[in-house]
Amino acid sequence: MNETWQMYVTFALLAFAIAPGRKAARPAQLALLVGFCALAFLPISSLSLAAWLRTYIEDLAITSVLLLGWVGLVRLRLVRPMSQVRRWQIFATFSALALFLYPATLGLTYFDPYRLGYAAGPLLAALALITLCLWLLGNTFGVALLVLATLAYAFSIKPSGNYWDYLLDPFLALYCWGALLSGLKQHWTTKGACTNLAIKTAP
Amino acid sequence: MAVWFAGSREGGADVEIRAAKYSATDDAWGQEQVLATRSTTETAVNKHIRKLGNPIIALTPNNRLWLFYVSVSVGGWAGSAINAAYSDDLGESWSAPRQLVTTPFINISTLVRGTPVFHTDGGIGLPVYHEFLGKFAEYLYLDSEGYVIDKFRISRGKHSLQPSIVPLSPTRAVALLRYAGDGPQHVLASESNDGGRTWSRPRAVDPNNPNSSLAAVASPDHGLLVALNDLTDGRYRLSLYGTNSRMTLWQPLIQLDQSPDPEGNPFTPEVYREIIGDKFMRSSGSQRGGLLEQYLGHLDQRVCSDSGCEFEYEYPYFIRSQDGLYHLVYSWNNSFVKHVSFNEAWLKEQLQ
Repeated sequence: MNETWQMYVTFALLAFAIAPGRKAARPAQLALLVGFCALAFLPISSLSLAAWLRTYIEDLAITSVLLLGWVGLVRLRLVRPMSQVRRWQIFATFSALALFLYPATLGLTYFDPYRLGYAAGPLLAALALITLCLWLLGNTFGVALLVLATLAYAFSIKPSGNYWDYLLDPFLALYCWGALLSGLKQHWTTKGACTNLAIKTAP
Repeated sequence: MAVWFAGSREGGADVEIRAAKYSATDDAWGQEQVLATRSTTETAVNKHIRKLGNPIIALTPNNRLWLFYVSVSVGGWAGSAINAAYSDDLGESWSAPRQLVTTPFINISTLVRGTPVFHTDGGIGLPVYHEFLGKFAEYLYLDSEGYVIDKFRISRGKHSLQPSIVPLSPTRAVALLRYAGDGPQHVLASESNDGGRTWSRPRAVDPNNPNSSLAAVASPDHGLLVALNDLTDGRYRLSLYGTNSRMTLWQPLIQLDQSPDPEGNPFTPEVYREIIGDKFMRSSGSQRGGLLEQYLGHLDQRVCSDSGCEFEYEYPYFIRSQDGLYHLVYSWNNSFVKHVSFNEAWLKEQLQ
């Protein structure tokens, strides 16, 4: 399979996700997306803009590309934003996977969890269990993310033969951890404020 | 065939991956050729490339020549990724390089330095190391087409890199590692008894290692031959050692190259020019004598600094060819690649 498709898709979706003008009408949003698709191929010093972006972020995980696609669909008002609970379930899932993978694979232990992604039987079984949990929680989007990433791995649509590279990348990990921690901080701040209020108003 | 990187300085934008072929019949090296540049790599891998380095080359049992080298897109050497290319006509033409995906962390920080091992199933064992938050050694397992299908950790932490792996039997192998930690600096050794799948925790062995690369091959008596800087500091002497398979007995065989000063102290530029000119002539032979003045005219910061000019013999690469000869190449004073070869008879004499 041509291995360059992903950098063009990533460039267009990422640019569309962070570009201003969210309140513009749908045709204008679509035009913006088409514009970013064309911009991805623009050559600068012998490399396309998409290749320049890839220089710094490599090929994102399939889950990240799907999340960017979802953000694009929300922006085009083709789907409704996810509820906060569903989002937290997804953040928690990827934060846990990142905590399992990164510290050990960066040399903390003799055990390298990245290895589990090559002969991926046990990792596939673990992800099947996580997918089942998300399904039982009614998180259809979370289920779709993991199932599509697994299918992408089965069809080897990326240059990597490692299952992890379809599931997770450092940017997704950082985003999920950031969102989770800031959400927790907000939760405890609100809870603390409520407790103080209760103490003050008690007879 | 030998490969190296060359340019105005290590990490320079003009660094290229170059090669030359050795003719055993003529006992001479042919013209240099360029195998990869930043530009050719950039086009092939669809990424900006800042610098190139650490090429290695190896011939598979079915005569496919593999070239592996690192490229950096962002940052220093810690941002390296490994590129692979092959030739099915002994180096006349090459495939486009392809980047190996070796880590989940934006595919950075895997470097190659040691000789690959060819497994009986056609797989390629590639000794690599990680150099980002830590420094540790790994053994990548590639299929016969050069795709990564597994990887095995040899060490962990921040203190070991650049493994040199020597297969001693179909299942047993030894990895010798460069030590990059504090305290007493010795070569580290790790062993595998299952074809490279698991490795023992590295232990220090006898020779010193001043945080410098080393190279090893199997010897006919089922031990190892190791080229290394057996020094506590600097790289002013490169020695060849023989050791048994358990690495408990080490025998110095020959000092391959060394500074005239036994402590490796620097020389004034004037004295240095005289000594290195003489060494150049003895290493190169009369046919390259015409290049001496040109070489001496370009002695620069690679060998001389404010404190003086130093001798450095480093980064050995060691193979045993199919005709039974041993070939060792190493960096000679950051200026040339020096080739040394010897046969079994010479080795037997030294080992007695």
